Amino acid sequence: MSIRVFALATSPRRHGNSETLLDGMLKAMEQHGADVTKHALTELKILPCRGCNSCEKNGECVIKKDDTKNILDEMIAADIVIFAAPIFCMGIPSQAKALVDRMQVLRSRKFVLEMPIVPKERKGKRIGVFLSTAGQDWDWVFDSTIPTIECFFGLQDIKKKEIRYLMINNVDKKGEILKHPTACNEAKLIARQIMGDIQALQEVE
Amino acid sequence: MSENEVRVIGLNGSPKKTGNTGKLLSSCLAGAEEAGGIVTKVHLGDLKGVSCLGCNTCHTLGRCIREDDITELFKEILAADLVIVASPIYSMSVTSELKTVIDRAHYLWAMKFRTFTLTFSDEHLQTHKGIFLSTAGMADPEVFKHSLPIITAFFNGIGVDYSANLLFEDMDTYGGIEKHPGALEQVYAAGKETVIAIREEKEKLR
Repeated sequence: MSIRVFALATSPRRHGNSETLLDGMLKAMEQHGADVTKHALTELKILPCRGCNSCEKNGECVIKKDDTKNILDEMIAADIVIFAAPIFCMGIPSQAKALVDRMQVLRSRKFVLEMPIVPKERKGKRIGVFLSTAGQDWDWVFDSTIPTIECFFGLQDIKKKEIRYLMINNVDKKGEILKHPTACNEAKLIARQIMGDIQALQEVE
Repeated sequence: MSENEVRVIGLNGSPKKTGNTGKLLSSCLAGAEEAGGIVTKVHLGDLKGVSCLGCNTCHTLGRCIREDDITELFKEILAADLVIVASPIYSMSVTSELKTVIDRAHYLWAMKFRTFTLTFSDEHLQTHKGIFLSTAGMADPEVFKHSLPIITAFFNGIGVDYSANLLFEDMDTYGGIEKHPGALEQVYAAGKETVIAIREEKEKLR
C-alpha cells in the first residue's frame, strides 16, 4: 500500500514562502511514490473552539457545521502529516491556531475518555513534519511555536521523536524562499529521508 | 478628557465570558476602577473581524486594508493608558481569538519599521502599561512561557510598557479560579496599583 501524506498549508497568503517550501517537499514525496493530499486552510471553514468541554463527555465536538471533523479524520488516517505555517508575531497564524484549538476533542478522547486515536498497530509508524518560514532573522523566532506544534502532533499520537522540522528564517517577501541558498534542496532531502524512514517503520512488525 | 484620567481596556481572549480567565479579568478591571480608572471590557469572541491575510499591504500603506470591528478595537487600544490582555492557555499558547487581534497588530509594526509613520516616545512608554493575565489547567508553570514572546510582540506594537504577568496554573486541580488562594485579590491589587502608578507618572511629566 502506498504511503499516505496529508499536508496542510496554513498560511493566509496562498503560494507564499511556507506553501512553496511545502510544495517542494510534496513533489519529492510523490516522486518517491507517496499518495499526497494537500489542503490550504484558506479554502476550509474552521470555527474557533468554544471551550465548552462537552467533548469531555462523549468525545465529539458540538460544532458540526464546518470542516474540522473531516480534516481531523483525514489527518489521523495519514502516515505522514505535514503542517506548514509562517510565523506571525512569534506564533502560528490565528487561522492555524483555531484548528489546533479545535483538536481539544482529541485531547478529551485521549486523556479524559481514554479512547484510542489511532489503532495500536499504527502507533509509532507515522511521522509529523513542521515546515515554517519567518521574516525575522532571529535564530529564536521559531522557539515559542514548537510547544504548540508538539501538541498538534501529540494529540494525534505522533510523538516528539517522530516529528521532523524544517524552519527557514529571514524570508519575508513572497517568493523569497526560492532565492534561499539551501531551503528548497533541504525540503527535497528531508522528503527522501522521511519516505525511507516511514517505509522502514512500516516494515517492522 | 482631563490629564489625570487613566483609561483602561481589558481584552478577554477566552471563548467563555465568565470562565476562570474572564473572572480574573473582571477582578483586575474592578481594581483599576477602584483607583479611578475609566474601564472598558471587550470580549474578543463577540467581535466580527477577519484574521490577518498576510498581504503585507500595510508595509507600503502604513495601515490595514481591512475595516471591521478589529479596526475599531485598535482605536480603543491605542487610546488606552493601561491594556490588560487575558487568555487561557490552549495547546501551549494563547487562544485563536486573541491571536487574531495580535496578528492584526502587524500594521503597527509596519508603521514603525516599514513606512516610518509611528514612534512611541519614552514619555509615552512611561505612562502606558500592559498586563498579561492567564490561566491554565495543567500544573506546570512553564506552560505560560511560550506565550510571553507573543504578548511582548503585541505590547511593543501597541506601545505599552510590559509591566506584569499574572499567571495561574493548575486550574484543573483547584476546580476554578475562586478556589485559588489569592488569585482574584492579587489581580485586583495589580489593576489598582497600575492605575495609580500611571497617574503618578503622568503627574511627574506635567
